[in-house]
Amino acid sequence: MGLTGTRLTALALALLALLGLAVAAGLAFGSAGFDVDLILALRAPRVAAAIGVGALLALAGLAMQVLLRNPLADPYVLGTSGGASVGGLLALMLGASLWLGAGLGALAAGAALLAMTRSALASTDDASPRLVLTGAMLASLCGAIATLLLAVTPDQQLRGAIFWLVGDLSGAQGGLGCGLAAAGFAALLMWQGTAIDRLQLGSEVAALLGEPVRRLRLLLLVSASLAAGLAVASAGAIGFVGLVVPQALRLLGVQRIRDLAWMSAVGGAALLTLADLVARTVVSPLELPVGAVMALIGAPLFIVILARGTR
Amino acid sequence: MSADRPTAEPLLETRSLSLRAAGRLLVDGLNWRVRPGERWCVIGRNAAGKSTLLRALAGLAVPERQGEVRWLGRRQADWPAADAAWARAYAPQQAVDRFPLSVQRLLDLSTVRPGAQRASAVLADLDAQWLAQRGVMQLSGGERQRIALAQCALQGAPLMLMDEPVSFQDPGHQIQVARWLARLVAPGTEAALVVTAHDVNWIVRTATHVLALWGDGCWRAGPVDQMIDAAVLQQVYGCAWRDVGGVWVAD
Repeated sequence: MGLTGTRLTALALALLALLGLAVAAGLAFGSAGFDVDLILALRAPRVAAAIGVGALLALAGLAMQVLLRNPLADPYVLGTSGGASVGGLLALMLGASLWLGAGLGALAAGAALLAMTRSALASTDDASPRLVLTGAMLASLCGAIATLLLAVTPDQQLRGAIFWLVGDLSGAQGGLGCGLAAAGFAALLMWQGTAIDRLQLGSEVAALLGEPVRRLRLLLLVSASLAAGLAVASAGAIGFVGLVVPQALRLLGVQRIRDLAWMSAVGGAALLTLADLVARTVVSPLELPVGAVMALIGAPLFIVILARGTR
Repeated sequence: MSADRPTAEPLLETRSLSLRAAGRLLVDGLNWRVRPGERWCVIGRNAAGKSTLLRALAGLAVPERQGEVRWLGRRQADWPAADAAWARAYAPQQAVDRFPLSVQRLLDLSTVRPGAQRASAVLADLDAQWLAQRGVMQLSGGERQRIALAQCALQGAPLMLMDEPVSFQDPGHQIQVARWLARLVAPGTEAALVVTAHDVNWIVRTATHVLALWGDGCWRAGPVDQMIDAAVLQQVYGCAWRDVGGVWVAD
């Protein structure tokens, strides 16, 4: 039980190698072959976005899993990213900036969630059903509004809107911003590593051990919501990576938040970069939605890890 | 017994502590002192308020409370959370694990004052030395309970509160835990212990003092040899008791 020493280092090196491989392949391969101008103009920003968004989503998933003490939580479970989806769709319809719309939507949903769950967040009572239920309701509300918006979206914009909703990295911007945000988020989690490790034992346990539970939970909620909102604004609601990457690392025996944080970021970046490479090359010149491709690769992989880990 | 140090400052003190739950008065005006070297057991029928009292003593949320709890002479509310972890430790009735974690890592995380005790020594005392590298989610109920007791002791706080520490232990481990607790909180040590339990013979073996909750708010506290007798037991549990050659039997 638990990876330590050389085996942990080996896993870390393997993850870094995977990321390097993914980035190299992402830059080198594509529908138009190897062309330096093309690589710099089109593929580099896209790979950068995949790295940043993948890292952000994996970190947001890790933070949500700790906050809710639920290994099945993902970045979207509390509905703040649903707000980003609604805002982004509205912006698409109105011809405004997608970034602005999604960002405002995420902020609005996050503020609403905070206002509705202040007491639940503050209490050291465990399991926090009120926080989860409020977030789930917010998520379904946003999902319903997004569906209604799709129903009234003009046909010529519908395809783009649907692709963006399920996650799409074509034309994605803000790779550098997402990458910097992910680095900051990982550093934050690592800095509070021991406190968050204790929070995972339960809010009451952490409080008894002297940790500032309320501040920690607020920190996790706000940072995870911001990260998810930023990722959605950049590339739509890409599923799977946020749930699976931290979970897989835990199943492989990584225990400490200090390790889980940066390894989740690297793993999420590598997974999304690879999935995007597959999405745009398999049936090129057509492109598949990267969110669907991710689940196609990731789900079987996760089942294998699950079978190994719980043996 | 602690009568040899009557002047020691109490580790734990309650002043007019009253607890209610679901409209019922559980504890009414409890004035009570726990001094270093004392091992207290709280007894009472189901739902008499034993666990609620322990939660209140630990500083955890309870439905309704009035009055004061003091640790080391200082009011509970005046302790910053980080300092309180140095004063009291609490083991819940049942720990809930959600994430895979090795026992060793769990014990490391539970240690607030390092060096007070060695984890390997505590595990050995609890017959759990081979569990250090196991995952917490792979432990049996009894094993997990002994690890929770180890967590409580390793935190390094002088006041230890344990809610039903032997409810999942087999008879052999019950005795082992009793001996360990007696060493952990021996006369002359800085530590004190408050547990809850139902097994009268285990209590006689383990505790130096008993606090009995009647369940209607009334309570009575005293040394174990005065508290454990047929009359008190009958009043607490509502059934007749006999002392059969030093073993208490309920009729």
